Amino acid sequence: MKKKMKSVVPTYAVLVLFALIWILPLIVAFVKSFTIDGFGNYAYVLSYEKINYFKVVFNSVFIAAISAASVTVITALAAFAFSKMKFAGSKIIYGAILACLAVPVAAVTTPLFVTIKNLGLLDSKFGVIIPLIAFNAPMMLLMLKNYFDTIPNELLESTRIDGASSFRIWYEFMLPLSIPMIANVLVLTFIYSWNDYLIPLLVIRSEENYPVTLAAQYFMSSTYQSPVDVARIYAVMMLLTFPSILVYLFSQKYLVAGAVAGAVKG
Amino acid sequence: MIKLGKKNNWTAYLYIAPLMIFSFVLVYYCIIRTVVVSFTDWDGMSDVFQFIGLKNYRKMLADPVFWKSVTNNIIFFFGTVFVQAFLGFMLAVLLKKKLPGSNMFKVIYFMPIAMATSIITAIFKIIMDPTNGILNQSLRAIHLDGLAKSWLGDPKIALFSVIVVNIFQWMGFSMITYYAGLMSLPDDVYEAAKIDGAGFIKTTWLVTFPMLKGTTNVLLILGIVGSLKTFDLVKLLTAGGPGRTTTVMNTYLYEKAFNDFNAGGAASIGVAILIIAMIMSFLQIKLGKED
Repeated sequence: MKKKMKSVVPTYAVLVLFALIWILPLIVAFVKSFTIDGFGNYAYVLSYEKINYFKVVFNSVFIAAISAASVTVITALAAFAFSKMKFAGSKIIYGAILACLAVPVAAVTTPLFVTIKNLGLLDSKFGVIIPLIAFNAPMMLLMLKNYFDTIPNELLESTRIDGASSFRIWYEFMLPLSIPMIANVLVLTFIYSWNDYLIPLLVIRSEENYPVTLAAQYFMSSTYQSPVDVARIYAVMMLLTFPSILVYLFSQKYLVAGAVAGAVKG
Repeated sequence: MIKLGKKNNWTAYLYIAPLMIFSFVLVYYCIIRTVVVSFTDWDGMSDVFQFIGLKNYRKMLADPVFWKSVTNNIIFFFGTVFVQAFLGFMLAVLLKKKLPGSNMFKVIYFMPIAMATSIITAIFKIIMDPTNGILNQSLRAIHLDGLAKSWLGDPKIALFSVIVVNIFQWMGFSMITYYAGLMSLPDDVYEAAKIDGAGFIKTTWLVTFPMLKGTTNVLLILGIVGSLKTFDLVKLLTAGGPGRTTTVMNTYLYEKAFNDFNAGGAASIGVAILIIAMIMSFLQIKLGKED
């Protein structure tokens, strides 16, 4: 017992120290957001005319939810084919998609901007969603395909004998067997899409279409010299980050499970 | 493989079609356009442009700001990845003991990843404000005035401050990745080390860490990829300044494209980024397989 205590105390000391460092900026922002005017800072932001808080959150939910759902469906379909089916060119096509894994959107800004413009999607939410799907999909395809590879073929073969179509195998067996990774892909894409700044910066023009990332910078680019400005900006940041933290808290177990599932396969 | 009695399963193409349409086509179209534009003097808006051969590349390679941005990307990578890997590994090892409350710590370390860079930079920009920021106010309050710096405005330390914020945001990723790696290690390794009488720190350093070499390699590649993707962090914290001290390839490219209306010049930087990114993609897949 004594020996156990000896190792527990330093462990907690280190864990707590780093937890404090990591939570401190948020605490500072939270405490400061109530200075001078208290809840008045929040009331000010919530009743701000040019940027409607609820509209902004709605825009981000809309963009992130559609991007995440689309990426999950299209990569789960494709990963199934790449993992469990034989077809001409499968290796080349898979390699060509994965080659884009690390391609940053920033490297192709001008052509992307022109493409969105030519599609008539400038200043629309779908003008943000389409590039988000395109650039998030390769990474998610890799994760799902690796996971599908760990599901034994014999398991699926046996269903085949029952005469199940490949699509039925996909949604009745493959998907349920892969829930940890599917959830992980869904949550990660949601978070990445929610947090993206560059694509909305290129595409969105009018304030009514702002997602949270642009709204945050809208408030930042106004001055923050007086203490009341600082308090209000912190209130903005608290309000804008609240939904994503909520989503995170409810879904964090899938992120850990997904990372573990990925590592076990390697 | 699900055998359909045929060598070539045509239905497979139906399964990959949505991905090809919504991802492959757009990504490759943008990549090819970037390569084409890099050989032109296009301004990014008008319909007229001329092919000017390798001029953009020659200009780029002779441009000191381009090399400054490359250097900054490299410093950014080294400054971030080793600190992150070290902290992530240490915390993962401690968390694996599964003491009560471990999950809460995990949630806290990973939380900044769930927060937008746009919001994190806003919070840090105010905290690091030279006069009104709480960081310098606290330092002055404990009479460490000498340590109170212009964190984002001093050319000597601005890049360091940017790196610190990046570590803050992404350390949790290294932590989770190592944690996942630890969970996949067989328990008997520890037992064997224990019987040998090796202490905790010794076991961790000599047994556990080498066994996670694959994880470390993957994190190194992801670190390079992360450095290559860095845009909003720098744009929003320092806009590449003061001077050019924090300019990275992506912010320089953006500036060329949308401030200087030099789409051709921007595209040549884009091609440089694309080449490194594609090499990194393959390394990432290869190392991921070995892991």
